[in-house]
Amino acid sequence: MGFPLLSLIVFVPAAGAAVLMFLRSDDTVRRTALGVTVVDLALSIAMLAGFDTATHEMQFTETYPWVPALGITYALGIDGISALFVFLTALLGLICVLASWVAIDRKVKAFMINLLVMQALMQGVFCALDLFLFYVFWEAMLIPMYLIIGVWGGEGRVYAAFKFFLYTLAGSVLFLIGVIVLYFNGGETFDILALTAQDLPFHVQSWLFFAFLVAFAVKVPMVPVHTWLPDAHVQAPTAGSIILAGVLLKMGAYGFLRFSLPMLPEASVYYSTMMLALSALAIVYGGLLALAQDDLKKLVAYSSISHMGFVTLGIFALNLRGLEGGILQMFNHGVTTGALFLFVGLIYERTHTRSIADYGGLMKVVPVYTAFLALFTLSSMALPGTNSFVGELLVLSGGFAADLAAGAAAVTGALLGAAYLLGMYRKVALGPASVGARYKIRDVNAREMAAILPLAVFVVWVGLYPKPFLNIIDASVAHLLAQVHGKGGGQ
Amino acid sequence: MTAAALFQSALASLPEIMVITGACILLIVGQLVRKGQEHVLVWASVAVVLIAAVTTLLLAGEVRPAYTGMFVADRFAVFFKFVFYLATILTFLLSRKYADIEGIGNSEYYVLLLFALSGMMIMASATDLLSIYVGLELMVICTYVLTGFLRREWRSNEAALKYVILGAVSTGIFLYGVSLVYGLTGTTQLDGMAAAVTGDPLDPGLLLAVVFIVAGLVFKVGAVPFHMWVPDVYEGAPTTITAFMSVGPKAAGFAVILRVFLNPLVAGSDVWIIVAVIAVLTMALGSFVALVQDNFKRLLAYSSISHAGFAIFGVAAGGADGIASVMLYLLIYTFMNLGIFGAVIMMRNGDVSGEVIEDYAGFAKSHPGLALLMLLYLFSLAGIPPTAGFFAKFYVLVALVERGFVMLAVIAVLLSVVAAYFYIRIVMVIYMREPERAFDPALTPLVRATLAFTAAGTIGIGLFPAWFLRLAQHSVFGG
Repeated sequence: MGFPLLSLIVFVPAAGAAVLMFLRSDDTVRRTALGVTVVDLALSIAMLAGFDTATHEMQFTETYPWVPALGITYALGIDGISALFVFLTALLGLICVLASWVAIDRKVKAFMINLLVMQALMQGVFCALDLFLFYVFWEAMLIPMYLIIGVWGGEGRVYAAFKFFLYTLAGSVLFLIGVIVLYFNGGETFDILALTAQDLPFHVQSWLFFAFLVAFAVKVPMVPVHTWLPDAHVQAPTAGSIILAGVLLKMGAYGFLRFSLPMLPEASVYYSTMMLALSALAIVYGGLLALAQDDLKKLVAYSSISHMGFVTLGIFALNLRGLEGGILQMFNHGVTTGALFLFVGLIYERTHTRSIADYGGLMKVVPVYTAFLALFTLSSMALPGTNSFVGELLVLSGGFAADLAAGAAAVTGALLGAAYLLGMYRKVALGPASVGARYKIRDVNAREMAAILPLAVFVVWVGLYPKPFLNIIDASVAHLLAQVHGKGGGQ
Repeated sequence: MTAAALFQSALASLPEIMVITGACILLIVGQLVRKGQEHVLVWASVAVVLIAAVTTLLLAGEVRPAYTGMFVADRFAVFFKFVFYLATILTFLLSRKYADIEGIGNSEYYVLLLFALSGMMIMASATDLLSIYVGLELMVICTYVLTGFLRREWRSNEAALKYVILGAVSTGIFLYGVSLVYGLTGTTQLDGMAAAVTGDPLDPGLLLAVVFIVAGLVFKVGAVPFHMWVPDVYEGAPTTITAFMSVGPKAAGFAVILRVFLNPLVAGSDVWIIVAVIAVLTMALGSFVALVQDNFKRLLAYSSISHAGFAIFGVAAGGADGIASVMLYLLIYTFMNLGIFGAVIMMRNGDVSGEVIEDYAGFAKSHPGLALLMLLYLFSLAGIPPTAGFFAKFYVLVALVERGFVMLAVIAVLLSVVAAYFYIRIVMVIYMREPERAFDPALTPLVRATLAFTAAGTIGIGLFPAWFLRLAQHSVFGG
């Protein structure tokens, strides 16, 4: 057992949060939090650098007994799929601290502590190789997220926080029962790899599939259990929205990839049509809802539902292109939608309005801001040359191969995306300047630029040269497919 | 009974003897303590409990049956006795300042708590319906008096009166059940009763007797349909006594229930159906009614009903894991519930009662540390990891699924989602409201120590449950 790199990635933010408790000045708190996230990002880059893309085996594994009487271990490890999200989490963690630098002006210390604890737990979710440990991380996230939304959110924050908490909790508890059932059916162990190797009878798989589905569908969120999302996203502070959209939503999809598909392959194949239909529904319905929004943040929130529909569509296409596209799209959505929430936050800090109707002609007032907004808007609508194009193309081609109707619906969704995103950009950035007349607002400063640039780099990088990213997930996806079709009997 | 047997019996019950002797001495010595010297009483009482605890530990090496089969000092009893010691000592520590504020700090208060402790200890060790009865009465009579200790408050008087009347009725019912058992089987020993109850065909008279006994015991743990006394008594009693009652006597009730119903013979029968129904109803009632409470103590009363329901799920699961899960649940519940009660007790200062949830609005702003502790207790009560409350619930669910009761497990977790709502509502009041007044919690070193200790237990058992789990599993009787 070598250097505990993953433990460090998970616990450095937690230790940072503990240190923050003893600091007094807000400024020191901000700097320390920034330092902690930089360290975490550096560690995750070191992890990627040492990552062997040729194998699907778990890497950097650590195992220690935790509760031996119940077969619970403290086990961490990553494969290609989780590696990508460990990095994404670390990246967005840094950006969240930057985004909250001045936006959070009261109880700064408590906010940063919550943010860092949140980051530790999210890293834990992606690294956990023990189901019990996974569940502890997964569920513990409710506490800091509840506080982030409820204490630092907008006017309807309390309602949004309750809704988020109860929705997610109700979803997770059934997952917990599923986990325990799996424990007794899989030889009394919580080891994810050992459980994956089990061959469960179909009726057990079916039940578990639905128990898991409830938890993961709420997190993704899939229609019809998506109604917590607009509230939570709109009310949360900018950093909260970035975490929610960038990482939390990915966890539902990650759950499908890590548990539903490999552990319940027959059920996954059997119910894939239903999942495709739900995904197509989310794509179209989310897009239609986004089209009707006059609040910037709500629009981005509903667009997330649509985009996550693409992700689940790709996953349940259950073929190589679909899966790779879905996973890449998870990463892309984290980058792009995280950036869009950041942009909404930046302009809201200046004008204190999110209503699209209040804006116009921003291009003349804040040219740099609008230029980058254009980049991320185009990325969100999957323009060729941007990251989402690669992901969506793979998803669509996988989706068409799996089910013609689902693919067709997804294309409609892509068109809707162009409609609401371009419409939003036109109303906000083009035309006569309406905001400049009422507000004197400044363009992005260096700190904000530091938050924007890395995201912009990934938009272009993945868009033009996605190979390194696909390389990371390749071996793991191929193995996953073999597991699904090997045990699921092909398609 | 030979002299040797008598000596062995006395040895087995030495902790009980010590607590009772200590209480008697304190009763006399307490009269000599002058006003302003009450802390002597606290330390003397704590010392009595600690001596008993050490004795228990020294005698824990082997199983000691005593008093011709009416009493046994086994690991099961030792586990519960330590829960009682813990609950009692923490109650003493919380009481010091509170008793001063309420003017109830005379020696009887501490003596009665010690007698109640000895009653609970006898219940944990009792293996005969009559010795159960003796322990039960010793415990409840003390708590009747303690409930009415706020003599000038009508709520306290009313609560005590209600408690006495309902308690006496339930005890009467219990005793009637015992007399039926004796009349039909000729024995009051649990083993003998179990053999008769599981016989085929079942004597309808015995069934009636079992129903009566169940009713009497269910009353003590505050489960549906005999829960009506809980909210009123919890609200009216001095808060320290409420805290004590919500953990100590409740655990004692569960000790007896486990002994009576998880006797291997009974566990093999269909009794679990009745137990499961009680569990579902108890948890549902506690969780739903708590949603609309504005009084903190009343809310915690319903919360304790709800938790009793969850623990009864563990009883329904049965088996070694079922028993161990209930024991672990009660231990963890002791930590987190005394913690949250400690916070309520600390709020009682000056004109502030600290009993209304709205009193806590914006508490996090001026007292971030204390607010964080309350957050910890509340999330633990709600069962969110990584707190101990989660592990307690998790283990009960494991026991349920192991027995094949998946549907019961699903019902249990869904009801716990309902319960989560009222806990996070308090968190909301503490964190997401603006303070309306200055806070002045009565933070003595003793209260601080209690809060720190309970918090350490609440997070510590959550993060490192292995040792406590093994302890509970090793303490299961017959295991």
